[in-house]
Amino acid sequence: MGTEYRLKGSLAFALAGAAFAAPALAGGVPAGVLIENTATATYTANASTQTVDSNTVTFRVDEVLDVATASQESGPVPATTTAVLRFKVTNTGNGPETFTLTANPAVTGNAFNATVTGLAIDVNANGAYDAGVDTALTNGAATPALAADGPLDVLVLVSIPASAPANATSRVELTAVATTGTGAPGTLFAGAGVSGGDAVVGASTASATAQATLTVDKAVVSLVKSATVADPFGGTRPVPSAIITYSIVANVAGTGTVAGLAIADAIPAGTSYQPGTLTLEGAALSDAADADAGQGGSTGVAVQLGDVAAGGTRTVTFKVRIN
Amino acid sequence: MSHRLLTAVCAIALGAGFAVPAFARAPAVALEGDVKLVRQVTENGRTSERLEEPNQVLPGDRLVFTTRYTNGGAEPATDFVVTNPLPGPVKLARVDSFEVSVDGGKTFGALAALKATGADGKPRAAELADVTHVRWRLASIAPGASGEVKYFAEVR
Repeated sequence: MGTEYRLKGSLAFALAGAAFAAPALAGGVPAGVLIENTATATYTANASTQTVDSNTVTFRVDEVLDVATASQESGPVPATTTAVLRFKVTNTGNGPETFTLTANPAVTGNAFNATVTGLAIDVNANGAYDAGVDTALTNGAATPALAADGPLDVLVLVSIPASAPANATSRVELTAVATTGTGAPGTLFAGAGVSGGDAVVGASTASATAQATLTVDKAVVSLVKSATVADPFGGTRPVPSAIITYSIVANVAGTGTVAGLAIADAIPAGTSYQPGTLTLEGAALSDAADADAGQGGSTGVAVQLGDVAAGGTRTVTFKVRIN
Repeated sequence: MSHRLLTAVCAIALGAGFAVPAFARAPAVALEGDVKLVRQVTENGRTSERLEEPNQVLPGDRLVFTTRYTNGGAEPATDFVVTNPLPGPVKLARVDSFEVSVDGGKTFGALAALKATGADGKPRAAELADVTHVRWRLASIAPGASGEVKYFAEVR
């Protein structure tokens, strides 16, 4: 008596199996999928083999609302006037869902707050905002529907206030919220899921926030001017004919580089510029407006320092005689 | 029940292509499938399992699929074998007193004795998630006797 296996449902299984041959969704079986189960029995009665199927029980997988948000920045993002902060929002639920994206620059503990000037979907995934290519989003607006497991590259565009101190850091957070609803895990939104099924809040509470950090990348120039007096008698009294040596030290602090730094100083009233006394870093500069960096004359001195990196100093000296 | 039996009879009759004798040997055994959601309930610090209708099912939920058999005939049903292909969206949650197949129902055995093909193409010990079918074998069901077989599964 050969045992016969009638595998009703094996085709359905094969199809479903193919769907799951790909890496399983993080969020599990897609919402709306029908699960059908049928058992088959074979047996011998009255000396013949019989086969019988059970009824098929069918039910639907409901939708889980879950989301994950992560910063794509490996460290603080240097910013001078503007910056782009990269985030990734992933639909970790098991059905298509739209998410409201809100960028908040006012995170508790910030030394200063940046200004969010816009959000964008990084369509070409290059980490930069390309107007006309990337899709701009209003802060607080919803994304297009993300498929289950679907990631979305989100750019948060910020500007740095001029008052932000060099090297100060500031955090900006991005929150993604399922538009169907949020709440404690298990919160039910009846009929709000795929195919009219229910939607249920998952472990993420259907809301996820991530932070990225900005650091102010700016150079700050300070000038310190000092004077030494040498009188004709070997002393230091500022009497007529005494020579005053002025020293101007430009100090660049912070980070980055200042471009085109120039120092200009007028000759004080009652004094006369002493020709040929202009120096930069101890090296003489000609008084003429020529190829070298400086020029000097009866009205004042001017020195072009060019680009100076943070941490650098430049010292300019010149001499005047008290009339 | 009687309507379903009749349907089954007709299916057998048409499928097998022999009419009158088939009616004489109408399937004596009926199968009744059911599924319940297994909910962990914690009350007063004690956790227990409660069976619910599968009105709301999410990935990770545990289910119990039950097949109830009844021999409504006058003769014993012998060599009784119930085979249940697992629906693709679920995976077996635990082994029980049944045989399993990890190759689409071609071969059956104890899970620990079966091999599956790993991601690297090499054989590895079969796991619960590899199970494609479960199968129960009973020597005989007496006339009028009934019982049930079940397996626990988890929504993938």
